[in-house]
Order: sequence, then structure tokens, then C-alpha cells
Amino acid sequence: MNDLPHARSPESGDLDRRSFLKTGMGGALFLGAVSVTAGLSGCATTPAGPREAVDLGPSDGYQFRFLTRDDVQLFHALLPAIIGPALTEQPEDRRQVIGSTIERIDAGISQFGPANQRELRRLFDLLNFGFTRVTIARVWSSWPNVTSAEADAFLERWRTSGIGLFNNGYIALTKISNVAFYGYRDHWHLSGYPGPPQWAIEALPHIKNA
Amino acid sequence: MSLTDRIAQGLEAGWDVTDGATLAEDQTHEADVVVIGTGAGGGTTAEILAKSGLSVILVEEGRLYYQKDFKMDELTAYANLYQEGMSRVTRDGAIAILQGRCVGGSTTVNWTSSFRTPDETLTYWSERFGLDNLTPDAMAPWFEGREQRHSMAPWHMDPNVNNDILRQGCEKLGYRWQIIPRNVKGCWNLGYCGVGCPTNAKQGALMTTVPGALDHQARLFHGLRADRLVMNQDRIDHLQAMAMNADGVTPSGVTVTLKARHFVVAASAIGSPGLLLRSDVPDPHGRVGKRSFLHPVNATVAQMPEKVDPYYGAPQSVYSDEFNFKQGVDGPAGFKLEVPPLHPAVSAGVIPGHGQTQVDAMAGLPWTQSVIALLRDGFHPDSPGGTVSLRDDGSPVLDYPISDYLWDGLRQAYLTMAEIQFAAGARKVRLVHLDSEWYRSWAEARVAIETIAMEPHRVRLFTAHQMGGCGMGTDPKGSVVNGFGEHHHVSNLSVHDASIFPTSIGANPQLSVYALAARNSTRLAGKLAG
Repeated sequence: MNDLPHARSPESGDLDRRSFLKTGMGGALFLGAVSVTAGLSGCATTPAGPREAVDLGPSDGYQFRFLTRDDVQLFHALLPAIIGPALTEQPEDRRQVIGSTIERIDAGISQFGPANQRELRRLFDLLNFGFTRVTIARVWSSWPNVTSAEADAFLERWRTSGIGLFNNGYIALTKISNVAFYGYRDHWHLSGYPGPPQWAIEALPHIKNA
Repeated sequence: MSLTDRIAQGLEAGWDVTDGATLAEDQTHEADVVVIGTGAGGGTTAEILAKSGLSVILVEEGRLYYQKDFKMDELTAYANLYQEGMSRVTRDGAIAILQGRCVGGSTTVNWTSSFRTPDETLTYWSERFGLDNLTPDAMAPWFEGREQRHSMAPWHMDPNVNNDILRQGCEKLGYRWQIIPRNVKGCWNLGYCGVGCPTNAKQGALMTTVPGALDHQARLFHGLRADRLVMNQDRIDHLQAMAMNADGVTPSGVTVTLKARHFVVAASAIGSPGLLLRSDVPDPHGRVGKRSFLHPVNATVAQMPEKVDPYYGAPQSVYSDEFNFKQGVDGPAGFKLEVPPLHPAVSAGVIPGHGQTQVDAMAGLPWTQSVIALLRDGFHPDSPGGTVSLRDDGSPVLDYPISDYLWDGLRQAYLTMAEIQFAAGARKVRLVHLDSEWYRSWAEARVAIETIAMEPHRVRLFTAHQMGGCGMGTDPKGSVVNGFGEHHHVSNLSVHDASIFPTSIGANPQLSVYALAARNSTRLAGKLAG
């Protein structure tokens, strides 16, 4: 199914360009059009399936429920900029941490419910779709080829933009990533959080024996 | 799991509790009253009606989570216990909405602050909305009754450092501060109220009124979404409900029909107007979903010289009302000052940033203190609130434009919070705002705050208090229900939650909801028994 993730008919490309010109700097209507186009083109909105399929390091059998292969690549490119220096440089560990963070992003989004999932679908499609990635995000390379510096520059543009829609996109991307990363017990030490008090865990059998 | 847990005990003893996810076929049930929602309003209503001998069915879209599930872990708690997996926002995404979605509703995950409705608010309601029998004197016995039922009392232990810094700053500046009453019994002072109390100390609906109702033969369906109230002529005939899968997010396709003599909607200030709109319940003046309020909240964070450990200890125990009603009830936007608990996931989600900035901000968490300001909305003509409407899929969404009046209040709140933190000895302070730097002194902060952009998305706004949308009043042209929560146009329909508030409260709303629901349910029980 993922043989042609970027393939779209020329007609749909024209439709997107017209929508873009009509609604200016990425109005909601335009985001909707990108999403519909991506949906019509078939595979782009299909969840990525088992973790083995997306090359995220050793698998624990996790099945992706929301993120597509394209989305996984997007976060693969963005996380080094979002999590930045908190990521280990050791390649295997780094791959593992990025992989498990993307997994938790997916698990979190799967609880968001249909309405917010649709909003995120629009945002991710906008960023994954070559034409809009270049025009709206001003990211020239496809995500697997984007450097951390380029990803950081993109995030910084959206953070400091005077356009609320881009600020909102920045918040969406960084919030789900930061929560999935810093909220995870293996990373608690990065915020100096010792975890729940040990004496309480000892005293609460439903936690101690979990 | 030992049977010291109220819920585990009740289930063992044979409570009539059904998980919607286990239902394989469509079915119909009947009771005297169907109560939609199990939070502050629904739980209170169900217990009072069941104790008066009426048969009651409780309907909850969220699932039944209790002690065995409360493990002091943010990620699982936010995914399971909060609306939309903690991702609920206003329509444009500018305000994050923290709201419970589980048995007990928001009372299962709130921070236990228990305030009476301020006298100023009740007096304003009486004058402005004709709610003459909701005066402070008339309401006092209801507050008192609920304070006992939920074991509410000013927090008797020392505040944690996080809260004490608010006290210290107020002391230095001569601002009033007080100790917050909390609804807890045998509290361990852990600090995990927001992820479900692991010791059953919190006396929210989950530990009090819901068990009280179930002990009196009420039936509970959880994992069951109230879809539509169906009318027959001028009365509600039945509720059409959809069973949810065990994931809590997708309907299974099984429908449940619930018939009753009376229906009480207590599905929250977003859920209740949503249900009434979906049901097309008579609304000749188009009032349903209008005047929705939020207590919009902004925040500042400080780095303190001493360790704060803001994740431990009773999350809220000190507040200041110095600025709440200072300039009159309908003057410039007043605000209540409180303190939020800061665990790693919520901090990482709330404090905006990425890369090295975020690494540094998170590394400073043990020394981080935060103050929040809750703006009192709905009391001034320039604070008309927002509007709940339905998306294409029937789900409710709140559109909440932020007026210049509120922006002025939010800027004033930034100034006050930074001033208090520096007075308490903060090394540096930053606003929870996309453009904010760390400010090293109150003078530097003041200059920056005077000119910082007050715009949606740049100012990071939150709310844990949703109110209004089915407002009460004596005039049906301007309200949905009367002063007893009774629908103006449908005789067997009541609304018993924060959606009936005609303005915001000006304080954390749980006790206001408990008290009004108790009062209105007592009256309803009398009517239905007669």
C-alpha cells in the first residue's frame, strides 16, 4: 500500500494550487483540501502498521494506529530539533529513543478522538505534501533529508510567525512531542523528577505490585 | 486488590454496573429518572433521587476507572481520564481545555479546591438574571450540606513550597491570601490529584455520591455515549445512547434506549449544550450553547533559589482573591490567583518551546514555581463568553473569542503574577507565552509585559472550568432553564451542572455545582414522588 506515498495525479496538484491561491496563507479551507486530496490518493492516510514496517529500531510489536509512514518520517526529522540536546548521540540508543517517542505520540493521538485527529491529519498532510511543505513550511528537502538545523529553523519560523495558524501548528507539533518525551518514565531524570514518592509506592499495593 | 476500595467493594457486593463495551446487542431499559453524566452534578443528582426511592439510571460516556487504575502516571491518566485524551481545545485551538471524561467526571481529576460561590456572584445573578432565591443566605445551607458530604475543610497541613511562594509574595506586597478548602479525607499530601487519587482520599463524586447512588439501587452504564434525547410531543420520551468500544473512543454500533419519566442532563458545559443541540430540544430564542464561560487562565513560571519540587504535596492550598472583585463585580476583568502542580508531562506540554530552551526549562523543574490567574468572565458586557455548537460529526466544540477586555485583564494578571514571584525571591520569571524571555527583575519584567503581544496562540491560555451554555434565568428569552435547573420549554427535562451558570463563578466551580445540584434534585425528588 505504501508503494506510492507521494504519487498524486496532476489534477489534484492543480486543485491544491488553486485552493492555495484562493485562500491565501493556508486557511482552514485549504488545509481541508490538502487533506481530502491526500485521502483520495489512497495510501497516504493509512496508519503505518507494525513498527517493524517503519524502521524505528528494535520492535516491541507496537502497531501504529494513526501516524502514517509519512508522519513517522516527519517526526523522525523533527524530534532531533524538538528534543534536541536531550537526545543521546549514541546511534542505536538515539534510534530507539526516537522510535519509542514516535510510538507514544501515536498512542496519545489515538485517544484524541475523531475531531482532533482530523485537525492533526490536516496539519501532517500539509507538512508531508511536497508543494505545501515548500510553500507553507518553507522546507525545501523531503523530510528524510532535512537536517536538524533545517528542522529547527522551520520550528523557529512557525514559533515567531505573526500568523496564528503557524503558531498553532508549532504548538501542536512541539506539545505532543514534548509530552511524549518528557512524560515518559525513562526521561523523568531530565527534568529532575524523581517519580512518585517511593514510600507511597511501597504503601500502595496496587502500584507496588503492578 | 484489597477490598478497602469503595468501588471494588461495591462491585463485589453486586452493584448494577454495566460497561458499554460488553454489550453485544441493542436494548432498552426504563427508570423513573435517567441522569446523563456522573460528575459533580450527575453524581449528586443520582444519589439524592435514588435515596428518595426513585429508580435511577446513570449514563457516563467515559469509563469507570478507580483505585486499581490510579498509578500516579501522567501519560496513562491523561489518555484515559480526560476529554479527547487531554487534547481538547477551543475551536481555533487558542485555549486548552482540561476536563474529565470518566466516572466522576472532572471531580475525579480536579485539584480538590472547594469554594462556595462568591457572594458577589450570587448577588449579581439575583440582580441581573432575576435569580432572587439564589442569594448567599438562601444558598448557605446547601453549601454547608455539601461541604459535609464531600469532607471539605481548609487544608490543615503546611502548604507545599509551590503554594507557599504565592503566600510569601502576597505577604511582601500586602495582598490578601487565604488557605484553600479541599475535599479530602485522610489525604497523604502526595500531589497526584490530577491523575486520579491513588489513596481514595479525594472525596469527589467517584468516592461519595456515585457509590451512594449505587448503594440505593441506581444503575450505572459507563462507556455509553448519550447521543440524542428523543421527544414525543412536548416531552422527552427516551434517550438514545451509543455503546463505546473498550478504547473509549469509537462507538461499537450497539445502541441503548433509555426511557424515563424525567431526564437530568449533567454532561458538562460543553457536553450538555452539545446534547441539547443534537436533540433539537425546543429552543425558541436560540439560547442553547450561548454565554459559555471558561475562567480563561494564563500563567507565569519562576525559577526559585530553593528547591520547589512542584510535583509533590497538595497541588492547591493557597489562593489570593485580592484582585478578584477589587474593581467591582462588572469592572475590569478580575482574577483569582492560584498555583498549579507541575509534573513533567504537563509542564513539557504547557511551557512552550523546543530544543535547548526546552531542555533548560525542563532541567529547572525542581526549582520551578508557577502562578495562574483565573479570569472572571461573563460579568461585563465586553465579556459575553463563547458559543458551543456542533461539528459535522455531531460532537460539540466551543468557539471562544477573546475580547480586548479579557486581553487587558490577562496582561494585568501577568504583571501581578510576575510581581508576586519576584517579591517572593524569584531569580527569574517568564510568561507562559511564545515570545517571553526569562526576566531577571521585576523592573525588566514590567517593561516587557507592558508591550508583549496579547494575541491568540502567542499567549498560552488554559482552562479547567467550563461554565454556562444552558444558562439559568427567569426570562426564557435570555436563558435555557429556570432557577431550579428546570428547562423552560420541556417539562420533564432538567439541567444539573455548570452549564446552568449565567456567568462564570469567580472560583473553582465544583462546590457551586454540588450545591445547586443538591438543591435542585431535592426539589425534583419531591415533585416526582408526588
